[in-house]
Amino acid sequence: MRQAVNWQPDFEALVEEHQSMVFSIALRMTGDRGLAEELAQDVLLELDRNLHKLSSAEHARFWLRQVAMHRSADALRRRKVKAPTLGFDVWDELEERHGLLVSEGDSSLSIRIEEMLASLPEAHRSVIILRYQEDLTPDEIAATLKAPVATVKSHLQRGLKLLRVKASQTLKEYVRGS
Amino acid sequence: MFVDHDDLKDEWKDAREQADLERRLRHAMQRKPAPVGLKQRVLATARERRQHRHGRIWIFQRLAATAVLAAAFGGFAAYRQHEEHEKEVQRGEEATRQVLTALRITNKTLDRVSTRLAENSR
Repeated sequence: MRQAVNWQPDFEALVEEHQSMVFSIALRMTGDRGLAEELAQDVLLELDRNLHKLSSAEHARFWLRQVAMHRSADALRRRKVKAPTLGFDVWDELEERHGLLVSEGDSSLSIRIEEMLASLPEAHRSVIILRYQEDLTPDEIAATLKAPVATVKSHLQRGLKLLRVKASQTLKEYVRGS
Repeated sequence: MFVDHDDLKDEWKDAREQADLERRLRHAMQRKPAPVGLKQRVLATARERRQHRHGRIWIFQRLAATAVLAAAFGGFAAYRQHEEHEKEVQRGEEATRQVLTALRITNKTLDRVSTRLAENSR
């Protein structure tokens, strides 16, 4: 508590520490690098204006996550950015064109997972980002998104299920082979 | 108790696949490095905005100070005017009182003269 009261925020250090987190959330939520960069800049500038309201480093991290998620969701709605809806046919096409499938290692798999994630509904995507990128518990995700814990758990389960269905064809080799 | 080994196998496989997917998700979803120059752009814009904000505050302060001074001078002038008016009224009342006193004296003197004239004529 005493630490929180005595907290002296250093804006530059906060930007340095959290720019990657804010940018990654925006990028994974919108699937648009340019928009994500714009959003990250806006969120960090908003932090500068609201610094006096924050009481600790942990509070600043929580606030940044929350605002990054909300701004990304707003941007998606405002700009109607369509997440890349890559179906399995597109995967096949990618494999044919770039030879990504069998011989590729974790990097191509990561790209595939990223793209499958982008094709998930927004609510599922947001909880998966907070769970696996930010390593938050369902309770923490619920607090960040201001949603009931049960809803978060359900979105998480459905999101994972969807990912597994989407991945079932292309990832089988990797999952079984590991 | 009958245990279906195929079911158990499926469940086990399902759990393994789920765990594997989660492990791969964690690995794939590591934070991306921020774009080059993002921090510099944010800091420069923040600095610019702060200066702009300070500039605006300074203008507002000047305007407020001017308004306060104008109000003070206006109030002082109005007070002086009111005071002058009050003094004028007082001077007028005093003059009226003096005229009335002079008239009373004149009246008394005329009464006395009139009384003497009446006595002499008798």
